Amino acid sequence: MSFKRFEADDLVVSAEPVSAPVWSTGAPILTTFFTSSTQPSSTSGNYFYNVYQTGSTLSNAAIQFSLAYADAQGSGSSPFNSAVVGKSPTSTLYGQYRTLVLGDEEGSFVFGGVTSSYFYVIAVDRDRFKESLLPGTFNLLLTSGSTTLRLTDNSADVTTVSYNDAGRVYQVVSGSNGSAYSGTGYTVASGSYGLFLPDIGVILLNGRAVDSSVAGGGLAFPTSRTSTTPTPTNITKMYDAIRAGASFQLTYQETISSQFIFARVRNSEFNYSTNPSYITGSGDLRIPNMVNAPQTYITTVGMYNDNNELLAVAKLSRPLLKDFTKEALVRIKLDF
Amino acid sequence: MGYLDNSVVTVDAILTKKGRELLARGDGSFRITQFAVSDDEIDYTLYNVTHPSGSSYYGEAIENMPLLEAFPDETQIMKYKLVTLPRGTARLPILNLGYSAITLKQGASLAITPQTLNYLGSNQTFETNGYTATIADARVLATFNGVGINTPEATALNQTTTLGTNVSKTVIGTSINLTATTVNTLFGNTTQLQTTLTVIGRDSGARIIIPVTITKVN
Repeated sequence: MSFKRFEADDLVVSAEPVSAPVWSTGAPILTTFFTSSTQPSSTSGNYFYNVYQTGSTLSNAAIQFSLAYADAQGSGSSPFNSAVVGKSPTSTLYGQYRTLVLGDEEGSFVFGGVTSSYFYVIAVDRDRFKESLLPGTFNLLLTSGSTTLRLTDNSADVTTVSYNDAGRVYQVVSGSNGSAYSGTGYTVASGSYGLFLPDIGVILLNGRAVDSSVAGGGLAFPTSRTSTTPTPTNITKMYDAIRAGASFQLTYQETISSQFIFARVRNSEFNYSTNPSYITGSGDLRIPNMVNAPQTYITTVGMYNDNNELLAVAKLSRPLLKDFTKEALVRIKLDF
Repeated sequence: MGYLDNSVVTVDAILTKKGRELLARGDGSFRITQFAVSDDEIDYTLYNVTHPSGSSYYGEAIENMPLLEAFPDETQIMKYKLVTLPRGTARLPILNLGYSAITLKQGASLAITPQTLNYLGSNQTFETNGYTATIADARVLATFNGVGINTPEATALNQTTTLGTNVSKTVIGTSINLTATTVNTLFGNTTQLQTTLTVIGRDSGARIIIPVTITKVN
């Protein structure tokens, strides 16, 4: 009487990829970078810095990504205990990413054929990258002194995608929009500039590569690798290089699963209303003209389960006239 | 709550509070199988049969009205369902619960047996498939169930338990049993709890809403 069952082809599930800039500003390129002045003195400051698009105390501040430095020997930070050599926040992070990316406690990070025991980490905030980063959209400028490196992933250059324990993996190379400027886009002797791991929203920057000389394709970056280095020193250096570059472009990609529902209202259906303004207190039609030519106005479609529980509703933007001479097809899209 | 842009016909769809609850439950109860349409917000007294421009303009005031966005509260939307009846119907089914309002003391019970008027040529009848009853805030009742209908969906609904949150609860039956809560903490500093009971004829689509008041005993 008031419910109509959907037929099999009225319910269609569709999955569509959606992409958009990662940054909360909505702009494709992030040009300003801020850290929190309170983080260095906190425990987390020994491991990573959060980077915001604006002053961290402002109401619209949002973490865009985190910066960290990892070192197999524990260099670049003070040890947890001076009696235990090599165990520091940087070695902890190295082990963390080794497990996450390589899945092998004996494994080494190889960047474009060259092993490196230290690297920088850009971990994009989960709220920002949603499901994954879109390969080919990573463009980052690093500036140190008068030298600027323009980095991208090599997704447009490779014909076969490589995988490791963190999913897809691309090399970070000198270039733009997923292509190296020339050749492989690697440094002369230190391999690639890092690994682009879109499925976990992480970019590893090869410490050896950025430290190599300008002539060798690097930044002559001053990574400090002593055990007496105050922990955030290297993170601060990389942060300064990103801030000086003032250009970080990245796009996320996620799959939106949608259910398309087609509510088909036939000419003979739903031509009377239980609306109190439609009937009198005794149930008589309030408008006598409607006895032989009833009209109703559809404003809402309710979707129910077998128990008549209202699960979802769709509201039309304006009333849709319905009578015995009209049929209606309403397409509803529910996103999950 | 904003108005929808009515310069083009669009559809604004959302999950209801109940839909989100069932989706979170993950037991397969979130499965859309049927639909209904309603004319919420429409005031048919605006239908002007004396419009000087003729019958094409009778519904002018209604057809151009802007509509509000959808409400997530399932008890506040789909209030006035459209129903399918034979052409020439002059009198629509309406429900009679025997009460225009319900007031219960804490712990007190009541059984409601709805009847449908003007249905299937009968002045007064009980619908074969029973009635759906929805209490807007399930917390105010210690028990709420329907009896007399033994279909799987009726059994499933009558056994569903919702604890601690002010979501609605729906049951099916030819007779609906209510027992007021005995929990004092729900009252806070007040002496009464108020909600609504919506009863819908499962065959006729006729619908009635009455207020429910629970009064604190001590």
